[in-house]
Amino acid sequence: MQAFPYRSAGELVRFENVGLRYGVGAETLTDVSFSIEPQSFQFLTGASGTGKTTLLRLIMQALKPTRGTVVLFGQDTSLLEKDGLTALRRRMGIVFQDFRLLDHLTTYENVALPLKVQGRDEVTYRAEVTELLSWVGLGDLIHAKPPVLSGGEKQRASIARALVAQPELLLADEPTGNVDPSLARRLLRLFVEMNRSGTAILIATHDLGLMDQIEGARRLVLADRRLYAEASDV
Amino acid sequence: MSENRFVQPVFYGRLRRLLPLFRRDPLVAADQVTDRALITVVAILTFLAAITAGAAQFAVGTAMHWRVMMASELTVQLKPQGARSIDADIVRVSDILRGTPGITTVKTLSRDESAKLLEPWIGSASSLESLPIPRLITVRIDTDQPPDLVALRKAISDAVPAASLDDHRTWTKKLGRLSDIFLTSAAIALVLVIVATGLTIVFATRGAMAGNREIIEVLHFIGADDRYIAAQFQSHFAVLGVRGGLIGGGAALLLILALKIGSAASLTVDFSGSVSPGLLDWATVLVTFAVIVLVGLVAGVASRITVYRTIGRLS
Repeated sequence: MQAFPYRSAGELVRFENVGLRYGVGAETLTDVSFSIEPQSFQFLTGASGTGKTTLLRLIMQALKPTRGTVVLFGQDTSLLEKDGLTALRRRMGIVFQDFRLLDHLTTYENVALPLKVQGRDEVTYRAEVTELLSWVGLGDLIHAKPPVLSGGEKQRASIARALVAQPELLLADEPTGNVDPSLARRLLRLFVEMNRSGTAILIATHDLGLMDQIEGARRLVLADRRLYAEASDV
Repeated sequence: MSENRFVQPVFYGRLRRLLPLFRRDPLVAADQVTDRALITVVAILTFLAAITAGAAQFAVGTAMHWRVMMASELTVQLKPQGARSIDADIVRVSDILRGTPGITTVKTLSRDESAKLLEPWIGSASSLESLPIPRLITVRIDTDQPPDLVALRKAISDAVPAASLDDHRTWTKKLGRLSDIFLTSAAIALVLVIVATGLTIVFATRGAMAGNREIIEVLHFIGADDRYIAAQFQSHFAVLGVRGGLIGGGAALLLILALKIGSAASLTVDFSGSVSPGLLDWATVLVTFAVIVLVGLVAGVASRITVYRTIGRLS
């Protein structure tokens, strides 16, 4: 295992010596440097509590680093205004560990939300949202609201919401954590399909079996507050 | 999907399938209890504000009407004096009055009519027979071309030293002060009620946004900007405020219209006993309507300011 080497050109994400500290204690993440290339596929793994979700939150700009530089889509995030941040987030899709679906909206409305907030007319996306819902196996549940969906259905709705705007980068936090192995394999196939169509994927998981299913995928390992690369074939 | 998840009537199921495709879905989850409470509070506040404004408009209108009535009337008082004949003095003064330009009507109150005016204070007319009761002449003037009161007063006192001319100036001043007090009190009450309405909207908006913090966070992550999120909350609460305003203001308007219809004959009798409908006039209705519009504006502005401030804090 070696510290992940720094690369500079064409990345979607670049971290340079990033450190994060909550309050006045020791750093949760120390000297994290890595990059994510377009159309790449990588797993972010590590034992529970090593900072996988924290690292994802740094990428999605829910957290600001205590030190170091985070560059997203070629832009230094420390210099970003709010409008610039919104524009960057529209290039990412996020699958939350706890789904974060809006309970008062239907599955269709939840999945269409990223397009709706961009101000697109519903006529322009109705067909593609419906098709995507069928693709993730929720074609019969477009009018159902999250409280009546099972864990796996919520997970698929959450993934569909992350994919609907065809993001350049997809961040998924334990996307198979709430589903049985067969459904996990099915969901993983969704990510592979998306990757083939051009989306870079970063999946945070501690499921070794899941990672073994994707040959050649890079593994970013968090341990002792640092990030290491186990393999980097992609 | 299991079959028993949605047990709905067939037509409802069809409607549900169509609705998501054609309706605009609010991103702010409607909280039935909070929303109803907010509408009720705003409705009550608007009702009070509208009634206060309407009542003030009525009171000021009435006072102004009375002032005009009083300003268009003069009273000449003749006190009995020694051996002089009061009836002859009345004729003398009446002649002077009738010959003065700007005077339209001269009416002499008989001894009985004068005694009747004193009845509430010193008893029945029969017991007044032995008393020297002053006599009154009421004069109506042309307010567009009023008579020269200084010259008239001098002419009357030269002819009849015991006669005095009262132009009601003291009373019109008092009425003016009274209407100013009405107006000031109503304005203060109105401002307080409007501020209370604004604060109610502010607190409701802030509370709802804190309760929807997670939704706001999700919206940010999926690419919504502050303007979009603010518009969702702002329109939600502005609409609630306007609905409350319309309900409360509408109730106040109905009450005022009912009073206008029911009280035209009983509330608007002037000093001369003639009925002058219109004191509770359309201006009162307009003022009440203006309060409803004002509440709507306050609701919109209050929710907008609160939403932007709160979003700044939450994000």
